Amino acid sequence: MKALTANTLREGEVVFWNKGAWKLRFGEAELFEDDAVAEAAALAAVNPTQIVEPYLIDVEAAEDGFAPVAFRERVRALGPQNHPQHGKQAEGGHDIEVIQHAHGVARSAGRHNLIKLKK
Amino acid sequence: MYRYDAIDRAFVQDRTAEFAGQVVRRLAGEITEDQFKPLRLMNGLYLQLHAYMLRVSVPYGTLSSVQLKKLAHIARTYDKGYGHFTTRQNIQFHWIKLADTPAILGELAMVEMHALQTSGNCIRNITSDPRAGATAEEIDDPRVWSELIRQWSAIHPEFSFLPRKFKIAVTAAPQDRTAAKLHDIGLLLRRARDGSLGFEVIAGGGMGRTPYVGPTIREFLPAHHLLSYLEAILRVYNRHGRRDNIYKARIKILVAQLGAEEFARQVEAEWEAMDRPSVDAPDTELARIRGFFNPPGFAVLPPKSEVFEGAKADPAFARFVRNNVHAHKQPGYAIVDISLKAPGETPGDATADQMDAIADLAERFSLDEIRVTHEQNLVLPHVRLDDVPAVFATLKAIGLSTPNINLVSDIIACPGLDYCALANARAIPVAQDIATRFADPERAELIGELKIKISGCINACGHHHVGHIGILGVDKKGEEFYQFTLGGSAAEDAEVGKILGPGLPANRVGDAVETLVDVYLRERKDGERFLDTYRRTGLTPFKEAVYAEAH
Amino acid sequence: MPKLIRLHGQAADWANDSFVLVGEEDAVPASGDVILSLARFQAEGAALLDDGRSVGVVLESDQAVEDLAYDLPRLSLVALRFPKFRDGRAYTSARLLRERFGFGGEIRAVGDVNREQAGFFVRCGFDAFEPADGSTPEQWLAAAHRFRHVYQRGADGREPAFVERNG
Ligand code: SF4
Repeated sequence: MKALTANTLREGEVVFWNKGAWKLRFGEAELFEDDAVAEAAALAAVNPTQIVEPYLIDVEAAEDGFAPVAFRERVRALGPQNHPQHGKQAEGGHDIEVIQHAHGVARSAGRHNLIKLKK
Repeated sequence: MYRYDAIDRAFVQDRTAEFAGQVVRRLAGEITEDQFKPLRLMNGLYLQLHAYMLRVSVPYGTLSSVQLKKLAHIARTYDKGYGHFTTRQNIQFHWIKLADTPAILGELAMVEMHALQTSGNCIRNITSDPRAGATAEEIDDPRVWSELIRQWSAIHPEFSFLPRKFKIAVTAAPQDRTAAKLHDIGLLLRRARDGSLGFEVIAGGGMGRTPYVGPTIREFLPAHHLLSYLEAILRVYNRHGRRDNIYKARIKILVAQLGAEEFARQVEAEWEAMDRPSVDAPDTELARIRGFFNPPGFAVLPPKSEVFEGAKADPAFARFVRNNVHAHKQPGYAIVDISLKAPGETPGDATADQMDAIADLAERFSLDEIRVTHEQNLVLPHVRLDDVPAVFATLKAIGLSTPNINLVSDIIACPGLDYCALANARAIPVAQDIATRFADPERAELIGELKIKISGCINACGHHHVGHIGILGVDKKGEEFYQFTLGGSAAEDAEVGKILGPGLPANRVGDAVETLVDVYLRERKDGERFLDTYRRTGLTPFKEAVYAEAH
Repeated sequence: MPKLIRLHGQAADWANDSFVLVGEEDAVPASGDVILSLARFQAEGAALLDDGRSVGVVLESDQAVEDLAYDLPRLSLVALRFPKFRDGRAYTSARLLRERFGFGGEIRAVGDVNREQAGFFVRCGFDAFEPADGSTPEQWLAAAHRFRHVYQRGADGREPAFVERNG
C-alpha cells in the first residue's frame, strides 16, 4: 500500500493526500492499493504554490490500523522522539498510537522519488 | 566584540531585502521550488522532516547578550521555544515557517546577525577558539582574523558556487579547540623567529564519507597576506575541484588526489600570479578590526579570590570548578563553560528561557560576552573569580550546571533522524541513553576525559570520526544500526578513528559503550585518558569485549 | 526578438546580437560575426580573423582561459557557459580574462543564466547575458546593484569596504 505525502510550502508542515485535499494527519491519508493509481494521484496532486517535495511512501497494516513502513516516515508522521509534545504525536489518539507501536523492520525503501517516476 | 558600521549594516539589510523579495516571488509561484531551493539554502533555510529549519550564523562562535536574547526571542516567537547549537558554532531553529523567515532575518539584522552562508556551496561561518581573548595560551587573537575572513567571504563574487561547501577554522592556541585539521582550511597562528605574525596553513582536512586529517601546505604565511593566499587556494579549488560526484567534491579529495605538495605548488603559482595588494586588506583595516578585540575593560584583581576558594566547601561547586572552570589570562578572572549536556537532555539544545538567563549572566558577570563551542556547549569567557559562585547558583537554578565538560556524558550529537531529512538513524536518543547511564558525576569524573560523538549519517555533522568513541548511525536493511569507531581526535593530535567491528542494533549501543569504558578502566595505567589507553593497547581488547557479548 | 542583455556602465538594455553561434557540426556561415567552440576556433579561427571577420569563442566551464591567452587581443568576445548555475567555474574564468589578461572585449554569460546571479556576473567582469529565466534588463539592473557595498575587489572596479572605510 502507498500514501502520498509532502510538506506545505508556507509552513513546511507534513501533510498527506486524501482525494483532492492535503490533510495534517497520517491517519487521514488516502491509502492506495494500486501503485499505478497512487502514482497518477501523485502527479496530479503537484501544486507548486501549496506544497513542496511530494512523494509516495510505503504503508503497511499494523496492529489495529496502518503505519508507514520506513522509520523515517514514522518519525515524520509522529514528531521528534526528544520532544513528545511537538509534532503530530502531541495530539495523541488511536492513529498516533498505532504508529508508535508499529514494529517489525522498517524498510528504508519506503520513499519513492517522483522525479524518477516522471521519466 | 566586533560591531557593525554603517557599511556592514547596509550590507545585511540589502541581503535581507533580497531574500524577502525571493520569498514573495516563491509564494506567488513566480519561481519554482527548483529555482528557489538554492536561494533559500544560501540564507540558511532547509526543509527538514517536520518543518523548515533555519540555521543562524554565530560568527566564530561569539555572541553578545543582546544577540543571545534575540535568539531567545526568535525561539519563543517563531519556533517552539528552543534552539539547537551545532558543531559549527551556529544555532538552528527546527520549526520555522517559510513565510516568517523574512521577518526573522530582519530581527537578526537588528542585532548584527544573519543566516548568510550557513548553507550552500560557499565559504561557511568561520570556526574559532571559544576561549579567544580569554586564554593565556594564544599568541594572538584569532577573532581578528576570523572577522577579516568573514567579511572577505561575504557574498564573494567568485567563490559562491564552489564544487562544495567550504569551512575555515582559525586558532592561535597550542590546544586546538576548533578541529582545525579537519576543516577545508585550518589556519594556525604562528610567530616567526623575528616575532612577526603568520599562519601555518592546513588544507584538505574533512570528515564526511572520506575523512582526512589535513596536511600542512605552507609552514608560514605572513599574516598580512592571508586574504590573497586564501583567494589562491579557493581559486585552485574552484577551478579543479570535482563537480561530477558530490561525494568527491570537497577540497580534501582534490588535495589527496594531487598530493599535498602538488596542490601547494599550484596554490603558490596562482598566488605568485595574483595582484596581491589588491586582495589583501590594508594595515589600516586590520588595525580597525583589531581595535574591536582589545581587552574588554578587565578590572585589576588579585589572582586569588577568597569568595571563590571558600565556595569550594560545597562539593557540588568544587566539582563544577574542576570540570567547567578554566584559567583566564587576566588575574582574578576565569573562563566558565556551560554544559548543554545535562544527562537525558538533547545535546546542544537550550530553551528560550535558558538563553535569556545566560544572556543576563553574561551581561552581569562576563563583560557581555558568550561563546559557542563546536562541542555544542556555551562559554562565559570573562567571569571574575568572585562571581563564579553566583554564576554557578544561577546555572543550577536553570538546569545548566552539569559539571561534565569533556567527560563521558558531554556527548556531541547531531539532530539525526528525529529532525534531519538526510539521516539514516537517530542520534539524540542514543546520546540521551548513554549520558543517562553515566549520570553519576563521581563515576564520570573517575572515567575522566572521554569524547563521544554521534552522527545520524555519514555526513558526520556529529564529528563521529574524531570521537574517542565515535558512533555512526547507518541504515542496515531498513533498521537503525550503529557503527563504532575508536581512537579519533579533533584536537591538536587529530586522528580519524578506526572501525571497531560490525554495526550494532540500537538496543545494544548503550551496553557497548559501558563495555568499552569497563575495558578502559581495567587496562588504563596511571594518568591515562581513554584515548591514551586505546593508543597503547590498540583495538583488540575493546573489540574482544564488545563482540564477546554478542555470543 | 533580442535575447541578449548588455550592460553599459550603470545601464542595461536589450541588445541586438550580431553574432551567430556555430554549432559543432555546422559549417561557418559565409559572412557575419561568429562564435566558435575552442576546438573550432583553434582550427578555423585564424583564417576568419585574417578575413576581417569578428570572432568570439565560447568556453565550456572545464576549459581554461589560458588556452586563449595569445588570441585574446583579436577576439571580439568570449562567451562562458554555465552548464548549471551551480557550476561556478566561469566566474573564475571571467575574472582571469579581465584582471590577468586584460581582456577588453565582451564577456557573455550563456547557458543556465538567471538574474539571481546578476550581481556575481557583474562583479566578475561579465557585461552581456543571455537570460534563461525570461528576465528583463530592468530586473537585471536591480539584481546586479542590490548591494550598496561589497567586501572584496572584483573585476568591476568597485571599492571594497576596507577602501571605503579608510578613504
Ligand atoms: S550527520 Fe547526517 S543525520 Fe546528522 S545532521 Fe548531519 S546530515 Fe543530518
